[in-house]
Amino acid sequence: MNNPHHLNPTSLKSRFTTRFLRALTKIRAQKPISSSSPTEIFRRYRRIKVAADKSMAYSVRSRRIWSRAMLWKLRSRSYRRQDPCSGRRSGKTNQAIMKKSSNENTTTRREDGVGFVEEADELRQLVPGGETMNLCNLLDETAHYIKCLTTQVQEMKKIADFYSF
Amino acid sequence: MESNAGTLETRSNKTALEREEVAALESLQFTDEIHCLMSAPATDNASSFTALLELPAPQAVQLIHSPDSAKLIAAPAPNVEDFKGGFHFPSNGGLIERAARFSVFAGEGNNNSDSPEATSNNSSANLQKAVKSEPAETDSSQPLISDPTVENRGIKRKDREKVKGQTKKSKTTVKESSDDTEKLPYVHVRARRGQATDSHSLAERARREKINARMKLLQELVPGCNKISGTALVLDEIINHVQSLQRQVEFLSMRLAAVNPRVDFNFDSVFTAE
Repeated sequence: MNNPHHLNPTSLKSRFTTRFLRALTKIRAQKPISSSSPTEIFRRYRRIKVAADKSMAYSVRSRRIWSRAMLWKLRSRSYRRQDPCSGRRSGKTNQAIMKKSSNENTTTRREDGVGFVEEADELRQLVPGGETMNLCNLLDETAHYIKCLTTQVQEMKKIADFYSF
Repeated sequence: MESNAGTLETRSNKTALEREEVAALESLQFTDEIHCLMSAPATDNASSFTALLELPAPQAVQLIHSPDSAKLIAAPAPNVEDFKGGFHFPSNGGLIERAARFSVFAGEGNNNSDSPEATSNNSSANLQKAVKSEPAETDSSQPLISDPTVENRGIKRKDREKVKGQTKKSKTTVKESSDDTEKLPYVHVRARRGQATDSHSLAERARREKINARMKLLQELVPGCNKISGTALVLDEIINHVQSLQRQVEFLSMRLAAVNPRVDFNFDSVFTAE
């Protein structure tokens, strides 16, 4: 399927769009919409949200700390959901280690001589994987994350508008 | 005039800059004043030339007076190559060239475009640019010596300090111009006025510069952040923006979950709509 209307076939926008649409078709194929009960919709909404985040993280690959952290989170979550036994062995121990390291990092209050620690901590919670970043990297990652989020919102808006007029 | 300039050179290298200014710009009436001023700060406080050299004062003075610049190169000090340039006793041509440089009010790619005080006064801009590019300068001793010249030019000291505060930004260009002769494995950073020059504060300052640069980028990304001043408020704005974007993603995915699939999700139709 050629995309003549996309300016750049390898841009973030087109990568995200193809992946996300593929995921959407898969979600729709799984559960045909017979009843539009709120629970159904809610379940689908969760899946679509995960698919959106996953498509964005896969479009960025491992180039960014936040995308790596998000992929790691998604993978560990999917492992835990599929097989609780294996999750106990691998996923939970890894998560425990990661949580411990992040706790250690956050307990050492990153004052660093700059005056905005509370805002930086709040930002760390927003950006995936932000707990393990120093302020410099955090600002970098935030800029890229904002760019990717904006792209995501634009594309999803286009898709939703296209299918709901 | 040249012999007088020569004697001025031999005195103390740290004030080579002001001496050359004097020689090039002023008449000889100020040389006596300059002599008194120059001899005074030789025993100055820690942020002077001797501290930069990280040597005891008498040894440093000895190094100055000896025309052996090779010793100074080996010394582990910042801005060494700048000093080395200052050891050349400029001939007539050098002084005249500097005089020409001072008198030419041409914007030679002055990086301090964001300092309005400097650009508003061309002479001050060139003077301070020449100040910046001259070797062998110290922060604390400079105002003492350059006061007569500064006052004569009618430049306020505040402007000088502000422009000097901006010198850090253009340190790379200064370094490139002076690094042609000798490359040393040090990061040569020009200290701002009244700030320490040890490695820790230098690294700290470099870090802060990086953080400020990134904050500027973020301000451009987030709409409406340009008018806000103060990094904490800007960060609050950024946090709000990220939160709103994440909420928008959730809202749109809810919308997509509720939409009726009248048509199959064929990619071409979606792409043609975009």
